[in-house]
Amino acid sequence: MPASSSLACLVVDDQQTMRSLVRTGLQQLGFRTIYEAPDGEEGLRHMLSRPVHLVISDYNMPKLDGLGLLRAIRSHPPIQKTAFIMLTGRADKELVQRAVQFGVNNYLVKPFTVQTLKEKIEAIFGVLA
Amino acid sequence: MTFGQAASVPAYEPEPRKIHVIQGEFHVASGEDVVLTTILGSCVAACIRDPALGIGGMNHFLLPGEAGDEGMRYGVQSMELLMNALLRRGSRRERLEVKLFGGAHLFDGLSDVGGQNAAFAERFVRAEGLQYVGGSLRGDRARRIQYWPSSGRARQILLAPTESRVFAAERRAPAVKADDAGALELF
Repeated sequence: MPASSSLACLVVDDQQTMRSLVRTGLQQLGFRTIYEAPDGEEGLRHMLSRPVHLVISDYNMPKLDGLGLLRAIRSHPPIQKTAFIMLTGRADKELVQRAVQFGVNNYLVKPFTVQTLKEKIEAIFGVLA
Repeated sequence: MTFGQAASVPAYEPEPRKIHVIQGEFHVASGEDVVLTTILGSCVAACIRDPALGIGGMNHFLLPGEAGDEGMRYGVQSMELLMNALLRRGSRRERLEVKLFGGAHLFDGLSDVGGQNAAFAERFVRAEGLQYVGGSLRGDRARRIQYWPSSGRARQILLAPTESRVFAAERRAPAVKADDAGALELF
């Protein structure tokens, strides 16, 4: 049973409002170490310099989108096993299938509740303490 | 009139193609003949356009959706879908111009959902660093909004107080007669 306070998370989204909401949700779940990045490129830079346990990334982003970030993470051995949850604006079967091919751990369709966020994270890490 | 003299014929102006945006939806369009329309009570509509490309869109959300367990719903989602649709069509975030309408408080004594919607929309524009170029928020009357995405022109017709109440009571009604209602304002 991992303690959520021991897990570091990176939230990648081009909208500051959405990053804040995900951060708030994570804080409600007990996360204490939360970083943010506004696009995939910055997200990858962050991962290479300061790896985290979990990446929650939007799909639609400038520069490097969520799939690009996922592929980049999976191709860098030091960080390739990082848990990755993809955020999507609308249920998109094709996108989810591609994300699964690239090794996504789970996905979240917006809008979602904190409870759903919790369930998605627990599906990867087990019940959070 | 003398025979052979050209008659004075008014210039032909094609009817605009009206696209009505209902609650929870958004629409992106371009072209001078397109006008996006909606009717708002406590809901808010954001009209966002990229002037360089002449495309724009309108959304229409019911609740702000920021706090609590339902925190990731409605307004945030609606704004994101509209922004993403514009960015996918080549818009640049730094060029986007925003107009905000709605957020009325139609009934005294009830919680001010309209005020919350308006506050959320303003906060969103500030947080995302978007350029706010006009609009009309809050007040106590429902509005009919028309927005031309190619030019960014917007027109607001305030519904008469009685019609506002009818509108609030029949939020799902697709059409509310507002021909002789209230003030006409341009934004």
